[in-house]
Amino acid sequence: MSAVIEKESELTINTGAKRFGNTTSQVITYALVCAAIFLVPSIIDDAYLLNKFSTYLIMGMLAIALSLSWGYAGILNLGQALSFGLGSYCMAMTLKLRTVPVHTGSEGLPDFMVWNNVETLPLIWQPFHSFTFAVLAGIFIPVLFSMLLGWFMFKGRVTGVYVAIITLAVLVVVNLLIIDQQRITGGFNGITDLATLEVFGFEFDAYGSSAYYLIAIFLTICLFLALAITKSKTGKIFQAIRDHEDRVRYFGYDVANYQVFAIGASAAIAGLAGMLYTIVMEFASPTFLGVKISLSIVIWCAVGGRHSLLGSMLGAIIIVGMQGSLSESETFLETWTLVMGFVFVIVVLFMPKGLAGAVESLILKIKSRNQE
Amino acid sequence: MDKKRRSFLKKSAVGASAVAATSMFPSIWIKNSSLAYAAKGEVKVGVLFSLTGTTGIIEESLNKATIMAIEEINDSGGINGMKIVPVVEDPASDPATFAAKARKLVLNDKCVSVFGSYTSASRKAVLPVFEKRENLYWYPTLYEGRECSKNVIYTGAVPNQQQDEFVPWLVEKFGKRWYLIGSNYIYPKEENNYCKKLLEGLGCEVVAEEYVPLGHSEFASVVNKFKSLKPNVIFSTVVGDSVVALHRQYRAGGLDPETMPMASLTTSENEVAAMGGDAAAGHFTSAPYFMVWDSPENQKFVEAYRKRWGEDKVTHFVSEPSYFQVYMFKQAVEKLDPSDIAPDTIREATKGVEMVAPQGPVKIDPATLHTYLWPKIGVCKSDGQFEILQQSSEWLEPVPYKAYPNQQCTEEGLKEV
Repeated sequence: MSAVIEKESELTINTGAKRFGNTTSQVITYALVCAAIFLVPSIIDDAYLLNKFSTYLIMGMLAIALSLSWGYAGILNLGQALSFGLGSYCMAMTLKLRTVPVHTGSEGLPDFMVWNNVETLPLIWQPFHSFTFAVLAGIFIPVLFSMLLGWFMFKGRVTGVYVAIITLAVLVVVNLLIIDQQRITGGFNGITDLATLEVFGFEFDAYGSSAYYLIAIFLTICLFLALAITKSKTGKIFQAIRDHEDRVRYFGYDVANYQVFAIGASAAIAGLAGMLYTIVMEFASPTFLGVKISLSIVIWCAVGGRHSLLGSMLGAIIIVGMQGSLSESETFLETWTLVMGFVFVIVVLFMPKGLAGAVESLILKIKSRNQE
Repeated sequence: MDKKRRSFLKKSAVGASAVAATSMFPSIWIKNSSLAYAAKGEVKVGVLFSLTGTTGIIEESLNKATIMAIEEINDSGGINGMKIVPVVEDPASDPATFAAKARKLVLNDKCVSVFGSYTSASRKAVLPVFEKRENLYWYPTLYEGRECSKNVIYTGAVPNQQQDEFVPWLVEKFGKRWYLIGSNYIYPKEENNYCKKLLEGLGCEVVAEEYVPLGHSEFASVVNKFKSLKPNVIFSTVVGDSVVALHRQYRAGGLDPETMPMASLTTSENEVAAMGGDAAAGHFTSAPYFMVWDSPENQKFVEAYRKRWGEDKVTHFVSEPSYFQVYMFKQAVEKLDPSDIAPDTIREATKGVEMVAPQGPVKIDPATLHTYLWPKIGVCKSDGQFEILQQSSEWLEPVPYKAYPNQQCTEEGLKEV
């Protein structure tokens, strides 16, 4: 039966693996891009640019995460920033507990707790003395949270736009909770004044190549893991579910389980990205799990091409890069948001499948001309 | 050549050119990193106030005050002949963008100082880069205190400066039953921590302490509590749009400022303009600066501001420090040899700097890098301006840790005593 469905999905969907050529060439293209990413620090030795590119790569990871759940499994998760934010808070909590005592208030209590008249370290903070726990929490809290949410939604056969609404609503609720529970979370200001990350005596300087390489390594791992998932049988079923959920169900697959897995895998990547973001930005803020960033991820994927992991990643890097350079240029200081809006309109009108789709149809065109 | 191989080559060519395109984009910005801070007769400074987003309106007025001061200094010969070159960035009211732009100004543009921030959240977000890269941030906003960074010059008021005279004055005039209301974040909580200490010393009673979410606009239940608890003073540290809603609903609820006034640390000409003078009339604010303050320096400031930015514009207690801190920066840099100009030498030169600001003579405290200020008590009039009832008899020392006698900010950093 699985053979049938694989065939079915390849026939019905003219996207995904088939559209982007055979696996070998795809792997090589992905590897070349990653190699280029690793070469950047040897060409550019500038603290500011490395720090900036580090944040771009993290946004790229977020786009990969959404491409996996939206582009492949058809789950438009508008709450992707939730996983991102939870990851970033986990990292911030453990780094906060490592700051110099005098900055941290009496008896090692984080400064904002002292300001909020908290007397003892809350229970939820205790395990974050362990760095290993924090790293695991930064991945598994978002994963478990998303899977639980996914389980409720998909077992209840919630689909399409309702998934988007529910995920967005949950994001807003958690965001409000974090701002409100400032005794534990630092509220509106977030968790600031953090220690530098140090693992096995090695310091990750937010402005140096060490943090950049750390992020590049995790980006590569995530990109290839995600690629492996999309190439596996599970990945094929994701695409089949995206294109025709009911048919997959008639074949006897438990659609909900696959969807829960997709949203969980996507949350793992986003959570990891969040932890890295805290290392680079040196603080965690409730805006990290804001609606704005969540919607931005959707735009990056739309511009880059959500059916391609690499396309989405490059879409994020290009858009964030453009935003950065436009808002920095004097000419566009007051109009840069307008220019960005214009770019989105153009892309959506003329490249409905994003940059990846445009590149691919270009290749097809050249190929067919050569064959004539 | 077989077809498969050819198609692969093309694809990798596409991939490679995509890579080239993306990795090319930095090269435009690569600049010589060995530039000294003051070169070619120019001193570069960053201006980091949001021009868009939720706090865009108020922060734009800070940007305008800063730019005006820079223009004035440049027009009258600059700093020892050197021009101040402002690099303006729009952090869009977003802490992450604040952090990114601060990094650009410090690491890429090699600014020798940055003027910026309105909210504490944004200040906290930019601090790491200033502390780790030894740069200097000039922060003009009143804030909750309890910060002791050698990389920030604070020119706004801290709790002791706004409250030390205000609270006893209100107690004497109106009474001992106080209702504390604020927005739910660190600034109101910390102001109230200090207020409660003062009230305790005066033998007063706090009948309620309440925090509403940021941006809250539904105060009907709060107004009802005012009616039933009948406090003598409502001490408000509500911020932003909520200030407007609170004042309007207080008035709509039929309450009278004569017997139950609101006393605020956060209501400036700017907020009053948004709510209309009628809703604000009769309520009190304590601040080091009001637009109506009668001094030659202030007259000059207000006139220049209106001429430069429009007749309908107001100056307020955050835009005034935004303006005078640029002059303090000038005085500090003036003391230095051009080859010595760097953030740390500017900080050292700023210690103890004095000048006559629109609010009166001000001075940077060498130990805390906060500013000696002249707190005033104003009552709002229906024309949207304040009438100043009282000014402190001397400039008031900034004590950012006043509520915490066991901690002290010194030149060497925070000390436990």
